[in-house]
Amino acid sequence: MLDRDGGLLRGTLDVLILKSLSWGPRHGYAVAEWIKVITDGDVLVEEGPLYTALHRLERNGWLSAEWGYSDNNRRAKYYQLSRTGRTQLRAEVTSWERYARAIGKALAAASPLPA
Amino acid sequence: MRRVFRIPFARGHIAREVDDELSFHLEMRAQRLIAAGWTPDAARREALRQFGDVDGVRQDCLVMDEQRERAMHRANVIGELQQDIAYALRTLRRNFGFTAVIVSALALGIGANTAIFSLIDAVLVRSLPVSHPEQLVAIGDPTRVGSMSSGSPRTDLLSYPLFRDLRDQNHVFSGVLASGRTDRLDVRIEGTSGEFEHPRGRFVSGNYFSLLGVPAFAGRTFDASADAVLGASPIATISYGYWTRRFHNDPSAIGRTILVNGTKITIVGVTPPSFSGEIVGSSTDMWLPITMYDVLRPNQKVLDDRLTSWILVLGRLQPGVTLTQAKQRVSELLKRDIVANANPQIAKAFLDRGAKYYVSSGSKGFSRVRNTFQAPLLTLMIGVGLLLCIICANVANLLLARAIARGREMAVRLALGASRSRLVRQLLTESAILALLSAAVGLLVAWWGSRALLALASDGAPMSINLGTDVSVLAFTLGVSVLAVALFGVVPALRASRVDLAAAMRAQSPSVAGSASGMRGERLPLAKLLIAGQVALSVVLLIGAAMLVRSLRNVQAVDVGMDRDHLVLVDLDIGSRGYHGERLANAVHSLRDRVATVPGVSAVTFSENGIFSGTESSTTLEIPGFTARTPDDTTVAYDQVGPDYATAIGAKLIAGRDLRSSDEPMLPRVVLANQSFAKFYFPGQNAVGKYLHFNDSVAVQIVGIVADTRDHDLEGQPARRLYFPYVHADDPKNLGEPGSLRLEVRTVGDPSAVVQRIRRAVVSVDPSLPIDGVDPLPTLMRQSIREERLVARLASAFGAFALLLAAIGLYGVMTYAITRRTGEIGLRVALGAQRGDVVRMVLFDALRLVGFGLVIGLPVALMSTRLLRTQLHGVDSADPVSIVVAVGVLVSSAVVAVLLPALRAARVSPIVALRAE
Repeated sequence: MLDRDGGLLRGTLDVLILKSLSWGPRHGYAVAEWIKVITDGDVLVEEGPLYTALHRLERNGWLSAEWGYSDNNRRAKYYQLSRTGRTQLRAEVTSWERYARAIGKALAAASPLPA
Repeated sequence: MRRVFRIPFARGHIAREVDDELSFHLEMRAQRLIAAGWTPDAARREALRQFGDVDGVRQDCLVMDEQRERAMHRANVIGELQQDIAYALRTLRRNFGFTAVIVSALALGIGANTAIFSLIDAVLVRSLPVSHPEQLVAIGDPTRVGSMSSGSPRTDLLSYPLFRDLRDQNHVFSGVLASGRTDRLDVRIEGTSGEFEHPRGRFVSGNYFSLLGVPAFAGRTFDASADAVLGASPIATISYGYWTRRFHNDPSAIGRTILVNGTKITIVGVTPPSFSGEIVGSSTDMWLPITMYDVLRPNQKVLDDRLTSWILVLGRLQPGVTLTQAKQRVSELLKRDIVANANPQIAKAFLDRGAKYYVSSGSKGFSRVRNTFQAPLLTLMIGVGLLLCIICANVANLLLARAIARGREMAVRLALGASRSRLVRQLLTESAILALLSAAVGLLVAWWGSRALLALASDGAPMSINLGTDVSVLAFTLGVSVLAVALFGVVPALRASRVDLAAAMRAQSPSVAGSASGMRGERLPLAKLLIAGQVALSVVLLIGAAMLVRSLRNVQAVDVGMDRDHLVLVDLDIGSRGYHGERLANAVHSLRDRVATVPGVSAVTFSENGIFSGTESSTTLEIPGFTARTPDDTTVAYDQVGPDYATAIGAKLIAGRDLRSSDEPMLPRVVLANQSFAKFYFPGQNAVGKYLHFNDSVAVQIVGIVADTRDHDLEGQPARRLYFPYVHADDPKNLGEPGSLRLEVRTVGDPSAVVQRIRRAVVSVDPSLPIDGVDPLPTLMRQSIREERLVARLASAFGAFALLLAAIGLYGVMTYAITRRTGEIGLRVALGAQRGDVVRMVLFDALRLVGFGLVIGLPVALMSTRLLRTQLHGVDSADPVSIVVAVGVLVSSAVVAVLLPALRAARVSPIVALRAE
């Protein structure tokens, strides 16, 4: 279950990236910062795998990218959700919620066997 | 935000982008750390640490970016192709007439090529449909499928005892099979009545089917046990075709008894549909065990006769044995066996002559037509190839003309940012679609054409060739189409895309000033070049056709040495009546006497083989004082003929006398020799009175010399020939009784007028005697040169078609040129030029083009007609008459083609022309 994408369940990083881009285009550094802040630095232990994931998502056609200029006026690669990327995000969110509910229910169980 | 503009596909720019992106990140992180109070050095180190494995990530990103680029590139190409195809289909549909013209011309060209190729494939290339045909070795001359030769041991055909020894003593084959002619079979299916039918049969050894690996489709094939006892296997296997034709695929046909030459034979099985025997060009209906020969043809006892050769052999090589090894072993074996089993005299003669041993690859089976059709088919292939080139040139010209019309469209698209290569691809897509459409129609043309050709080619002698469209034919068609696109599509496409933007956008109409279309300077020279090319190719075809036609005329007009226009040949199946000895003599004499009383008949004689019947006999003989240098030196053709034979057919007697009725009971016998015979064996002597020996003992005396006649073909050297009396005293050492009878009937007037009367006369003598044909000699002669007639006819058709295309092309180009020069012509007329001057000017222009084409075409023609040399009779391969005729026809057609545009030019009114400016 663990892979080079950063020691996470596969897909976790992907869905975070998609989510971070749901408000509009960002460059990789901004995505990294958002994930760090939003998860208190628990998910992204190393930043490198983020770029592997960004390029893979771009190859899959979920993200598109173009070069633009950052706030401090430096050339940076901006990523943006494509239409399929947005669909993908919706699907992932649904499946994560169902998953989390299931795990939550399991962990909250009070008796050894279902009634 | 999809990238709209194509990114050059190179690793360099991808790596740069990845590096830029990663360093941006690292710098941002370091800046943030510095802002938080880190020293620059420590900040950089910390940024790298937080990032992790920079090199690994960089590699991963590169891999993924490259995959993405490649996918995008593919999508782009496919997308553009889809667009191109859709656009091309729209354009072609919109110009339906234009498309139809091009597709039908190309389909004709591609179809003709495919038709000829499928014949070549079937006759010359394809292997037998048996298991592992490449292991098969043919022993014997593979073209002598219907022959039988007696008198001396031979190696081009084998005798049955020789085959048996080869079968039992060779160490190179895992098995050998024998196949021999049946001659005509008279077959009646039990329970039916009426006429005999004559299926094509083949006597084969029992292992025939197992060695070829041909299973029974129904019932069983026979096996090696059929060879065990001579005459004890009255069974037959029939082909799927015969089963369908004769029995409508009725399973109860198996086990039915049929009467073959009067003997009851049981059908035991049917072969699969794909198999029609080992003889290409003549499919077999019925296979009979070879051991039944003497039972089914009681007149000839050949199974024990080492001097009668009639068998062709296929052997299957043992693993690891090569053809060369087999050839050496087989030759040694045959030679040893022939010498060991012949009497000393024959053995010595055989060794003195020296023999050629025929051992060759057997993968394509045997064939008589392969030899006769090889040269004609290759000639026709070249012809249709040239025709296709001409058609392509014509289509290229049409496309070029349309490219002019689309000059503005091209210019607009270029202006909107399309690349030239894209435009070229677009135009080539159109051409490819045209070619594929044409190929599809062309396959239909070929399907019909190859069958029509076959029917034409087998005029009078049915030829069956399996024309199934197979992979190689389809591949050929596709290849031809691709070639056609390359020929007609590339140049116009390249030219059309070379549009001068500004000029094309400005252009409204052609004008004197010459600032017209963007391609003005280019269009006509290229079109004219294509016309000159067409003229050049047409003249090659026309000269070839003219030579073939003239050669055919020569062959048809050749002196046959007899009264060709007043002879009728009557082919009678005397063998089916079982006549022998005196009864045969009586029957033959009464037939002759009865036909002689028919009004309009001036003389009647008879013979075994007849004239232009396709059946010939040959024998080996010895002449005291003559030493043979080659095996063929002692082989002569012969026929057995009636009294007054030479006189009756109108041949000229040179010395001695004709055969007489009084010769018939004579023993020793007398014989008539032809002039070639006398000159060859008795040069400078009087051959009359000389003795010949054949069948190793019988002596015959020459009583007369007759001028050479052409008994069986119109080409080549006349054979050395002897004429023995047909009716003769019975002698076992003699030639044997004739197996067939032909009457030669000399008529007073038109022979076709008496054909019916002759037929009635024959019926009145013996109503049950089957008549196989009553034909005037000219009809039979025509059939004997059917390949030549076919080739000459087709070549003329190709030539005519090429001429028509060239004329149309010339007309088109000249019309266009005149339209563009209307202003100039008007100006000339205004300045005092006469109508005649204008017509002359246009004609001169056109003829210069034709002349240019001739300058290219004539040398090519002279070189290529050299390939025809073997097929030309009495015509030199640089025949001046043919060249003059071809050039004359071409030039006059050109004049006719441009006369209309020239006259139109002459009617140009200066005022109208100049006002158009």
